[in-house]
Amino acid sequence: MAEGFDIDHLAKLARLSLTPEEKALYSSQLNSIIGHFQALAQADLPTTIDDARVVRESALRSDVPGPSLGAEAVTRIAPASRDGQISVPRVVDDEA
Amino acid sequence: MAEVLHTLSAAELGRRLAAGTLTSRALCAALIARYDVLNDKVGAFTHLDRADVLAQADASDARRQAGQGRGPLEGIPVAIKDNIAVQGQPLTCSSKMLASLVSPYDSHVAERLRAAGVILYGRLNMDEFAMGSSTENSAVRKTFNPWDLTRIPGGSSGGSAAALAAGLVPLSLGSDTGGSIRQPASHCGVVGLKPTYGLVSRFGLVAFASSLDQIGPMARSVEDCELLLAALASADARDMTCFGSDERTLTAAGEAKKLRIGIPKGFLGKGVAPEVAAAVNAAIEFYRAQGCAISEVELPSADLAVPTYYVVATAEASSNLGRYDGVRYGHRSAQASTPVEMMTNSRSEGFGPEVKRRILLGTFVLSAGYADAYYNRALRARAKIRSEYLAALSQVDVLLTPTVPTPAFKVGEKASDPLQLYLEDIFTIPANLAGLPALSVPCGQSGHLPVGFHLVGAPLSEAKLLAAGRLFEAAHGFAHQQSTL
Amino acid sequence: MSSSSDWEVVIGLEVHVQLHTRAKVFASSSWGFGQEPNEQVDPVVLGLPGTLPVVNHEAVEKSILFGLVVGAEIPAHCAWDRKNYFYPDNPKNYQLTQKDFPVVIGGSVEIELPGPSRNVMGEHKHVRIHHAHLEEDVGKLSHAGSGSLVDYNRAGVPLLEIVTEPDLRSSAEAEAFLRALVAMLTQAGVADCDMEKGQLRCDCNVSIRHPGAPLGTRTETKNLNSISSVRDTVIFETARQIRELEAGRTITQETRGWNADLGRGYVLRDKEDAHDYRYFPDPDIPTLELSRATVERLAKQVPENLFDRQRRYMDTLGLPFTAASVLVAHRELAEWFELSVAAHPANPQGIANLVANDLLRDLSAAGSTTGFDEAAPAPVSLSSCPIKPAQLAGLVKLTDEGVISKQQAKEVFAEMFKSGQDAAAIVDAKGLRQNSDTGELEKIIQEVIADPAVAKSIAEYRAGNEKAINALKGPIMKRTQGKANPGLIDQLLRKALG
Repeated sequence: MAEGFDIDHLAKLARLSLTPEEKALYSSQLNSIIGHFQALAQADLPTTIDDARVVRESALRSDVPGPSLGAEAVTRIAPASRDGQISVPRVVDDEA
Repeated sequence: MAEVLHTLSAAELGRRLAAGTLTSRALCAALIARYDVLNDKVGAFTHLDRADVLAQADASDARRQAGQGRGPLEGIPVAIKDNIAVQGQPLTCSSKMLASLVSPYDSHVAERLRAAGVILYGRLNMDEFAMGSSTENSAVRKTFNPWDLTRIPGGSSGGSAAALAAGLVPLSLGSDTGGSIRQPASHCGVVGLKPTYGLVSRFGLVAFASSLDQIGPMARSVEDCELLLAALASADARDMTCFGSDERTLTAAGEAKKLRIGIPKGFLGKGVAPEVAAAVNAAIEFYRAQGCAISEVELPSADLAVPTYYVVATAEASSNLGRYDGVRYGHRSAQASTPVEMMTNSRSEGFGPEVKRRILLGTFVLSAGYADAYYNRALRARAKIRSEYLAALSQVDVLLTPTVPTPAFKVGEKASDPLQLYLEDIFTIPANLAGLPALSVPCGQSGHLPVGFHLVGAPLSEAKLLAAGRLFEAAHGFAHQQSTL
Repeated sequence: MSSSSDWEVVIGLEVHVQLHTRAKVFASSSWGFGQEPNEQVDPVVLGLPGTLPVVNHEAVEKSILFGLVVGAEIPAHCAWDRKNYFYPDNPKNYQLTQKDFPVVIGGSVEIELPGPSRNVMGEHKHVRIHHAHLEEDVGKLSHAGSGSLVDYNRAGVPLLEIVTEPDLRSSAEAEAFLRALVAMLTQAGVADCDMEKGQLRCDCNVSIRHPGAPLGTRTETKNLNSISSVRDTVIFETARQIRELEAGRTITQETRGWNADLGRGYVLRDKEDAHDYRYFPDPDIPTLELSRATVERLAKQVPENLFDRQRRYMDTLGLPFTAASVLVAHRELAEWFELSVAAHPANPQGIANLVANDLLRDLSAAGSTTGFDEAAPAPVSLSSCPIKPAQLAGLVKLTDEGVISKQQAKEVFAEMFKSGQDAAAIVDAKGLRQNSDTGELEKIIQEVIADPAVAKSIAEYRAGNEKAINALKGPIMKRTQGKANPGLIDQLLRKALG
């Protein structure tokens, strides 16, 4: 078992629910994949990441409003809506 | 005439359309007829809107009549992988999650193709969300290799490659994150190019791994590939990682015979099947005979490429696919008494096993306590790999390897061992990690199955790659080859 | 606030401010209060597959401007990270924010505490800023029966999150900090800070310790949307934590909410995995270079710090604290005042008095101010003010020259505000010029003194009763139809009486 690989915890973080069979299968498959990552753990690596991609302010967008989809289009794409808003099951906690 | 049309190159079709000896409508009608005969067998397409195609064709013919043809691609059909947005067309990514989604907007490349007069022709099958190397992970249907219908076409752009090999379309678009254009191109005996990262806008490409993904042209010849690339490469303010193109980048120029070719040390020993090695070695000898300098290059961190890729790609994917939760679009589960339950069930119902595996893996490598050991180390390894490739490419013009170690395997053969499949990306992955352009060109066969070789160049050296590819195909019979379907 | 034993409260604030831009921070749709739901949503805001963020230039400039206003460091580069968590108001289920390389580093905000009385300036203190970063706001959730509804109009609005060091030591300091911050943000044009429209929200971190001891465990109360609720939260939480500690219990590090109606804090449900955000650098937005040329250009837009201005008014112009404080709270008003002083430099206090009282009052009545949080000053718009600065200066000059009395000046001002005419024109039209003809006045004074009706008052005055002189002034004013210069009358009368 790869150290720290807790499939229940990860599934919860990723909003996935797995059957017991899936848990067993994926755990074993992922553990063998992570085992293969040992080369990464042992490699001698540079300490910094040379980020080649730096842009100047010319790459930024000017502050001019563009077109919107419109509430009609948004609600048409959405699986459920009411009065122009997208509806979801009742949110219980109020944490932002 | 109709029997021959599907065998013609895009360049030739363009000439006939321009000369007036062919209409776009006739061409499209012929291809639709062939689609009706073959697509059930090959499974390349998941969707084809015949009425829309013919309407586009008629509009193209009218433009041409009015002297308003838009260039060499006017009236030519290009099939689109189903993860590239075309307004009014499905954008399913071959996933149940997006089965009902019709795109309300055009990708940058769709806009560019329309502006070039292209007929946007159907939606191509793929591994779900571009995750896979065989197109077996499609939730919609199976795609088969036209050279052997018991085998896979490669992936994730399996539909894009199979459609070309079966003569269903002259040009197609694929996307490539770890080899998804080049590997199916190799397996299906066609040409595929992954451009320099940032050359082609990703606006409208459904993201798998943002720092690795690129849209690229696929065709039955290097010449056709070049034609399509020219339409795609352009600056787009809607993608901050896209810097657009440069005239010099795109035109196959320069003396291909003077190219210096580097062969990475040890690469031909890496589990490469003997017939693949033989075909690739023959290609190397061809270039040597042309006068190209061939040398061995060292890429000491080569063994880090696959683990680095699978950490970075799955990390980015786990985040990119977070938006699929049934709230704003796509599949929403009926089992939903709380938002958490709704999101969890929608995702679990909507995603296939490979997608779930990669999301779990990506979540793991980013999670608290493990991000340093995995994700942050992977970023550093990536920087090291990139600098080694750039160093090698300052000594030679292109690096040459096989595209895939082994030819197309049988459907179902590798379904239970994802790690096995991941390891086969060994030749294609580094170009994505380093952001370099890479081209796969057919060079032979292993039995009846196509084999391709793989060229990688320095950033924005598409011209050199295409020149090398043109030199090879001019002297060999692999261009325009199609299966016998 | 007093505490029963030796406790010190330590407060840090995280203030989320919606920046003054027309379009959203990573998407181009417009934003603003009062629109129909989901009308300000484009494919990028909605997080449709294939869409990508592009950073809004103006949002970056406003952020840099804020940094310059607080004297912070503007680094050579900044970058964005993804904060990953699932929630229906979060369209991509990650929020673009800046964790490692924010746009503003350090800086400080000078604050002014209330003085011992209204007229006395309170103590000043500096509150250090840790950093400020530019991120996107999320949509709005509302609850309806058995379900909830989501409106994404607010999703993608540019938010500058300003994080202080834990330098605040009382609810009064927290309140003073927010007032000063709002003034600085609005005066520089960085943000409108209309709290009624949700343009400024605050998270409040509170901990307790004995002075000199290490920092205690803190709690975080989120989403406070008025200055008074921040003040009340600090008071409530301080008392609660003291109570807990004095009862021998410990403080749990928790996230809390504030119920303004009940006046109490409460614990928000503690989600197990709420805190593993799996931050990583956003691969869609390259690192951004922040050029020194831009920083220099924006440095010219930094207005005078309001407390520097206040000190200048008090020290150089001799204004009392109350007038200075009112004037500096409104940048446009202060600038208008300065133009007026430039036209008549001899009496800044006279001009200040009219501007800080009469002009401000009349502008408010005319609706040139928009009311928002009761504790923060409303912005004043002088663009439609009927009076020009030079005209007010002219009015004060007339008063200083004795042409009209201060009492009359008020009457003239009211007329000026209505008609926009010059003071001199109104004085002439109304025939208000004071009589300052010494000869004529001396004659009238002699007549009044001679009247036996005032003999008693004269005698009392000469006996030492100062106030008795006022009894003579009435008849004198009457004989001059109220137009006599009161100062001159007083002077001549005393001379005449000896």
